[in-house]
Amino acid sequence: MSYRKFLKKMKPKEQRKDLEKVEQKSIGTSITENLNIIKQKTGNSPDIIIRMLTFSHDPEVSTAIVHVDGLVDNPTINEFLVQSMEDSVQEKLEEKDLFKVFSEKVVAVSSLETLKDWDSLFLALLSGDTVILADGKNEALIASTRGGERRLVEQSDSEITLRGSKEGFTESINTNTALVRRIIKNPNLWVESMNLGKQTNTDLSIMYINGIVDTDIVKEVRQRLARVNLDAILDSGYIEQVIEDESSGLFPTITHTERPDAVAGNLLEGRVAIFVSGTPHVLIVPAVMIQFFQTPEDYYVRFPISTLIRMLRVFMFLISLIGPAFYVAVTTFHQEMIPTDLLVIIASQTESVPFPAIVEALIMEVTFEILREAGLRMPNKISATISIVGALVIGQGVIQAGIVSPAMVIVVATTAIASLATPNYDIAISARLLRFAFMLSAAIAGFYGIILGLIMLIVHLASLRSFGIPYLTPLAPLEWKSLKDTIIRGPIWSFNERPESLHPQNPVRQGKNQKPLPPLKRRMVRADTKEGDKNES
Amino acid sequence: MEKAKISTSQLFILMILFQLSNSLLIPLGMKAGRDSWLVILIAAVVSIFLFFIYRALYLYYPSLLLTDYTEKLIGKFLGRILAFLYILFFLYCAARVLREFGVMLLSFAFPETPLFVACAMMILVVIYTVFKGIEVVARTGEMLFVIMIMLAFFLFLLIAISGLIDVSNLRPAFEDSSKVLNTVFTETLYVPFGEIIVFTMIFPYLNQAKKMGKTGVAAISITGAALAFTTVLNISVLGVPLIERSLFPLLTTIQSIQVGGFLQRLDVIFILALVIGGFFKVTVYTYCAVIGASSLFDIKKPSKLAYPMGMTVLFLSMVIASNYSEHIEEGLKIFPLYAQLPFQIILPVLLLIIAFIKNRKKE
Repeated sequence: MSYRKFLKKMKPKEQRKDLEKVEQKSIGTSITENLNIIKQKTGNSPDIIIRMLTFSHDPEVSTAIVHVDGLVDNPTINEFLVQSMEDSVQEKLEEKDLFKVFSEKVVAVSSLETLKDWDSLFLALLSGDTVILADGKNEALIASTRGGERRLVEQSDSEITLRGSKEGFTESINTNTALVRRIIKNPNLWVESMNLGKQTNTDLSIMYINGIVDTDIVKEVRQRLARVNLDAILDSGYIEQVIEDESSGLFPTITHTERPDAVAGNLLEGRVAIFVSGTPHVLIVPAVMIQFFQTPEDYYVRFPISTLIRMLRVFMFLISLIGPAFYVAVTTFHQEMIPTDLLVIIASQTESVPFPAIVEALIMEVTFEILREAGLRMPNKISATISIVGALVIGQGVIQAGIVSPAMVIVVATTAIASLATPNYDIAISARLLRFAFMLSAAIAGFYGIILGLIMLIVHLASLRSFGIPYLTPLAPLEWKSLKDTIIRGPIWSFNERPESLHPQNPVRQGKNQKPLPPLKRRMVRADTKEGDKNES
Repeated sequence: MEKAKISTSQLFILMILFQLSNSLLIPLGMKAGRDSWLVILIAAVVSIFLFFIYRALYLYYPSLLLTDYTEKLIGKFLGRILAFLYILFFLYCAARVLREFGVMLLSFAFPETPLFVACAMMILVVIYTVFKGIEVVARTGEMLFVIMIMLAFFLFLLIAISGLIDVSNLRPAFEDSSKVLNTVFTETLYVPFGEIIVFTMIFPYLNQAKKMGKTGVAAISITGAALAFTTVLNISVLGVPLIERSLFPLLTTIQSIQVGGFLQRLDVIFILALVIGGFFKVTVYTYCAVIGASSLFDIKKPSKLAYPMGMTVLFLSMVIASNYSEHIEEGLKIFPLYAQLPFQIILPVLLLIIAFIKNRKKE
């Protein structure tokens, strides 16, 4: 500390004066001084554009507009802002207060406001607004001109559906909130915005439906966000990691999506969405385990089909978790369980293999993980090479060399595909990691090890909470009414209540008699019933 | 006591799982031969009376554990000693269940694994669970209960399909009534039904005290019915002579399943039921010992005790008997008479009488 004080004292006096000037909180009256401060604070960066404007009626009074190149919408500035400023000054020559004239007349821009302090001026400037300064005024006019190059609304790559909206979120927070508003046209859809990140000043919004959401959950979200004091927020992942309940566990307690319809569906159930500027991934809290096996499309197709698909997903998850472990346990400890014919086949294959089953499994699993990671980050042209190397050289070669038995390759391949069938990447990756733990416990104690591992997993999951909601709801603690939207997906007309565990303020979701009622004449009716007269096709 | 709440449905599931756990697997009331299912039903009915004794005690002190209200009933000194004895009793029960579980598991699935390793693996999971508290135990119970029910349906379906059931094995019924009653009061009443004494340590966590009576009766009746049904199934599939010779009748039943030439040797189902049952019983006993000790010795964080108490259970399970036949001998002759009878029946009845007199005086 004293060292710093010493340095401060050593600084020449003039420079200190300069620094003090910059530290000024509010805007001064001299336009040249103000512009100097802006230049100095931004380090004379060439992308800060300053345009001096003088008006013909009174060349003495000068005004300036300041904006950041690339963050603003250039046509708006040229056509609407500058043009209408000149026009309005021409019209009202006698009026001395330029800002008043501007704010009355320059209606072409969507919003105008006046600011007095430097901090908010810079925040507005760097968010893409245009700052208007005038000589003799100790305030600045901020015109909303945000724009510039952005990615368009496209289909999301990570969550592809066959049916339903193809729109995906973009990196722009305003576009994202608008995409949800387009689905829920309801004044009760409330958005609260804030600014986090000491260096990045990232925009962040929380969205919920007032009247449905439990206010305690919103309060909890606000509290957790309020204590965030990070240097930078480059993705919603930063926020996720500082507000989640269990940061060291393997399982995600916050879910995220790129689809507006998924956000809308969750908001309607009483959840809260967190939008972060600069990322298409929107966080949704609270999240329960079963959500990670659901996709928006489940609700768009008919219920028996989506129920079966959900069951398949859970089954796939289990296979990706304990598939190789099961094989290791059976071949190492419980050979008597295999039907004799199959046992003979497996035994003849493994005869030439020099390793025990666990080593075989580890070799193949690690190889597969390497192939997958290599393929993920490669340009498309190279990834073709990887698949050839993976399939032919490793898959075929390893068997011919007698290092790994063909049965093991089948098991590992099935597991790999099963883990890709889990719709949510976050939960698939937990299974991917836990698979190795299960393989080891199966190698140590066979089925006993696997079952103990599963019990431990269940205990761990049961101990998790997401924003106060137990992670395994509605299975444990059991909620009968919510069970119809879990592994099974009940018919839409039976979803009369919102999930109980989220304590919605308005638990009634829809009218009670939504079951379709085909006309009576289509059913089998007796001949003397009047309504059945037109029964023949 | 922990700051937690469980619902009546969770209590219901806890009670059923706790009682079913390992009693599904071992022969119950086999002294009475083919009438053993009757023994189970009678014992269940008698244990409902026991349950009402525990419930009456709970109603006198709805926010206190058993180990807390002994102090209020029979004075600080004696009450604390009794509470301590109860904690020891729970620990001993946990150790017995763990030992039995370990021996069962090794005897048919892992003959070369040392007993200590198998028990140590189990106790690690138990410690982890107890560490997380009663709410997690209850939620885990709910998940495991679903698995057990699915297994039961699957098994019954397979047994029925493979045409193993031979009802004539059950005849003639009601041979010797004195034998039946004798078995009820010397064996079956204490294990598994009398073991619900541990729930005096869990009742105070209930969030709806009113429904507790109904829940308990339903849980005991369902347990009794399920156990009787399993016994009937075992007898009708295997016949009495085979059951008397087998250590685990359910395992023998499962092993005789053969469907379509490929569904056979379904031992894994038995291991699953065995591990889940053993895990659950040891966990509940250890939890009750931990929570009792933490309130007796005034320890702020009960979870701190999970590790030492768990280890105690593990070592106790190794030293309580030098071999398994000694263990069984103790379990059949000494333990019911000198530990289970007083701790499960006599002491609660005495406590209830004292509570009754004390509370009448007040009025």
